[in-house]
Amino acid sequence: MVASLRNLRNNPHFLFVRLPYILSFLCIISGVIWLFLLPLDDYSRKTYISENALLPGQVHAYFAGSEQHIFRGYKRELEGLINGNENEGEESVERTPVISEKIQSILKASGLKVATQGYEYTSSGITHQGENIYAIIQAPRGDATEAIVLVAAWETIDGELNLNGVSLALTLARYFKRWSLWSKDIIFVFPPDSKAGTQAWVDAYHDMQPPTVQPLPLKSGALQGGLVIEYPFEHRFENVHIIYDGVNGQLPNLDLFNTAVSIAGGQMGIGTRLQEMWDHDNSYEKRLQTMLRGMVKQGLGYAAGAHSSFMPYHIDAITLQTQGNGWQDEMALGRTVEGLCRSLNNLLEHLHQSFFFYLLMQTHRFVSIGTYLPSAMLIAGNFTIMAIALWLRTGYYKGPGADDSTVTRDGKASESEKEQLLSKDQAQAISKAGDSINGSTVAERQLALPLTLVISLHLLGLIPLYIFNNISHEKYTLATHTSIAINALLPPTLSLLLSRTNVSQQAQLHLIKSLSLLPLGLFLSTLATLNFSLSFMTGLLCSPLSFISCPSTATKPAVRYASAVLGLVLLNILSPPVVLLAGCKYFGVEVTTVLTEAAFGWDVWGMWTQVVVWCVWWPAWVVGGVVLGGGLFS
Amino acid sequence: MPIDRRKAAVFGGALALRLLLLLLFPSLPDLLTGRVEVSTPVTSFKRLQEGLFLYNRNVSPYDGGVFHQAPLLLPIFSLLPNAHQYPLPTALLYSLIDLLNANALVTISDSAQAVSGRLYTSIRKQIKWDGAVVAAWFLFNPFTIATCLGRSTAVFTSTGILYALSAAVQGQSLNAMFALGLASYLSIYPALLFIPLVLLCYDRHAQRSPSPPSPVLFVAKHFLVFLSSILALLGISLLIIGDFPTLISATYGFQLLVPDLTPNIGLWWYFFIEIFDSFRDFFLGVFWLHLTAYAGSLSVRLRRQPLFVVTSLLGIFAVFKPYPSIADASLYFAVLPLYRHLFPLMRYTFFSVSALLYASLLGPAFYHLWIYAGSGNANFFYAITLVWSLGLSLILADTIFAALRDEWEQENPDKRGKTVKQV
Repeated sequence: MVASLRNLRNNPHFLFVRLPYILSFLCIISGVIWLFLLPLDDYSRKTYISENALLPGQVHAYFAGSEQHIFRGYKRELEGLINGNENEGEESVERTPVISEKIQSILKASGLKVATQGYEYTSSGITHQGENIYAIIQAPRGDATEAIVLVAAWETIDGELNLNGVSLALTLARYFKRWSLWSKDIIFVFPPDSKAGTQAWVDAYHDMQPPTVQPLPLKSGALQGGLVIEYPFEHRFENVHIIYDGVNGQLPNLDLFNTAVSIAGGQMGIGTRLQEMWDHDNSYEKRLQTMLRGMVKQGLGYAAGAHSSFMPYHIDAITLQTQGNGWQDEMALGRTVEGLCRSLNNLLEHLHQSFFFYLLMQTHRFVSIGTYLPSAMLIAGNFTIMAIALWLRTGYYKGPGADDSTVTRDGKASESEKEQLLSKDQAQAISKAGDSINGSTVAERQLALPLTLVISLHLLGLIPLYIFNNISHEKYTLATHTSIAINALLPPTLSLLLSRTNVSQQAQLHLIKSLSLLPLGLFLSTLATLNFSLSFMTGLLCSPLSFISCPSTATKPAVRYASAVLGLVLLNILSPPVVLLAGCKYFGVEVTTVLTEAAFGWDVWGMWTQVVVWCVWWPAWVVGGVVLGGGLFS
Repeated sequence: MPIDRRKAAVFGGALALRLLLLLLFPSLPDLLTGRVEVSTPVTSFKRLQEGLFLYNRNVSPYDGGVFHQAPLLLPIFSLLPNAHQYPLPTALLYSLIDLLNANALVTISDSAQAVSGRLYTSIRKQIKWDGAVVAAWFLFNPFTIATCLGRSTAVFTSTGILYALSAAVQGQSLNAMFALGLASYLSIYPALLFIPLVLLCYDRHAQRSPSPPSPVLFVAKHFLVFLSSILALLGISLLIIGDFPTLISATYGFQLLVPDLTPNIGLWWYFFIEIFDSFRDFFLGVFWLHLTAYAGSLSVRLRRQPLFVVTSLLGIFAVFKPYPSIADASLYFAVLPLYRHLFPLMRYTFFSVSALLYASLLGPAFYHLWIYAGSGNANFFYAITLVWSLGLSLILADTIFAALRDEWEQENPDKRGKTVKQV
């Protein structure tokens, strides 16, 4: 056993060629296994509230009784306006100016300061415009330095009419105004939709709005927390569905989520659900499924609700969405919101105690970053290992036959060799001259071409990034198919061009692969600290790239061509646009919808998932194709 | 004079790239100006604007304690139109400064002083890059571009240092002293380069004249020139500012005593935040002593290659200065390609370059987590500055090792190609 290990240590082919593949493979496998261990009780933890000031559920909620009549009254008034509109033409849930007027007049009648803000965004040829209405309750016990936001969008994120939610927010505004215990201002925001409205409002609140968005005429203090109310149906509900994902995978402080769970579940007796897992029995499978759904949402980085827009400004926010058919009514939801507002009102400083990086697998179980990060880091690390190994291989190891002569070289021979070589052409001599003068057996690497190729591929990624974010939404299907075709042709073309250059092709390909895997590992490990799920998913999709190599010239041409072609076909299945198409097929959505949403995210939400796809994943993928295509032209 | 076409292409390309970046991303300069990696309290363009505003309204620019740069910059920048409304003239000025620096680098490279001086000629002297390549490494270095677009005033110091070097290798020793005087006037630390630079001047002088002058007299004369150029510049500053004690305490006092602990990529800020106030003065002394100690000792050990001592010192400054930024790293990486012949002897290039790449990606990410997302803390960013410094010091130690090995192989021709082990 020991002897065989020692043999392996002295075997350069094993050390430089086999071992890196084994290590990389182990990294990927252990990274994936690590993820699957997380839902187990030994690795996840029970949630707890770290911020003592929150005191969830410690106060009695008084929102009941006569408030229900007011709620019904408001709802009736709004309903009348919608129906009046409906008679004229097609059925539409859009908020008309009449309804806006009504909402404003109700808020004014309750004694709040009301203001409006118009906005307009254009993305992939579609114009999104609307007018936010918002109102501020000035804290009787505060100095307007801090505020809580309550959002009730007219349309939910799924495009349903949120009549109950808006009526509830209006009732709560009237109800909260009469309380004297608020130490933070409460801002009620009524955006017409859940995608652009809150973004425009929160951008303008921080004076970061684009020119097409109006500034806010009325402001309050620093926002401490946000709650979004969604009640998009008429019947009573069973559970509260808590949505917590932000743009680019940012998450709100876990304390906010825990407070919501504890108030809804513990105090009000309303069940809580997350990630659309309606029947969660706390089994391993369900936990895993919840976690994976959360990861997919986080990885794609789109806004999961109106609350998502708050996250980039370090404002913790969640959406409370009613779900199911049960016996809870709007007053129960109102009491939950009241309890949450009271808790937030207690805060002495910005939420900072609990976790910002976590994966939830059940309403009471989570894993924190320290536990799950190694999984993505292992996957990112596999690329770095391979890059370093290839770098060493290009310098120290020539191949199974050549290593003896390079290791035992005596000084005199190299001296004469040097003299000879230096008289020759500079470009050719430099690599060997460096080698022989140097004394150690490091070969000088020719870096100019590989470096140029890798850098220009990364820059080339900007072109599809620009195109996919700026063309009209009708052309997305065409653009996707074109990019699939270009992706199929580009790598072999580049390999053909490379094979025309006058240098050792195998070494060049190794260097190109090394220099492409190095930034891939770099980017992914950096990304893992910002958006774990995106890094993990990209890493997993890129993992075959570590094991791709150009078939050596020693193999038979027929075998070589066949393996190169087969490899290219398999690789094309993993190209970014094909994966996009497959994903759309699996989830049953149209490509156009996804790409329109992505472009909207880029233009409005500041989402950068596309940057990762086109400037990290795609260049590495093309290099993989170039390496494989080398087999066709060697 | 025939125009070198490759040089012209490199310079034109670099200028075009800078203007293109400005054109494509108009918000980029303001973004970079605000980054702690680019702008330090002593080189920030934002602070310069503040000083300029006060200066143009006849208030002392040092009132308010924001501006800490040399007063001579003020009249120069007040000639330019407002950088906020018309960013192009300022960008052009900075691009031209970059080109000037690159031009100085070409001169240094063409003199071949890096591979063969008076006392030492490397056995690998045929492995070198020509001026255009060295200039390209400087001009297309992302750190240089970021510094240029971020309008850090550190580039003026770099110009002073590079022109001092280029004058020294051409044998114009008095010009070299003037240029070094300017650099030291702008940001005090280049004064530490006096010893290796005067040695370089002496070597060049001795190479040319048949009878070398007395070293003591030569050094004394040049020291006087160096000192009087600084004094002259201070005299002009006095005409601009008037209040001498304020001027000194706001600029040099600020650089020496390090009162502003805004995060930067160096090692001082975190340490001095953590240190108890009673020990502050002591450790301030220790840190400065550590920085100055290298100048003398490296000059002694590498007496035969004074230009290499300057190079290594620039690297040391980039790590151990009180307010380092990527401008200092870019200056070090600018002179490093002159030592192309040492690259085959370096052992950890890939690892140190990887460390630097990791640090330059993770640094902004962790800074974002700390300052904007609020989900990280200061230790995140500080850990990355440690990695950055580690990467730089690895390169530094590796080049010094390679230079010593090069000298050793020249002395012992029979030992060439043998492996050495440090014991």
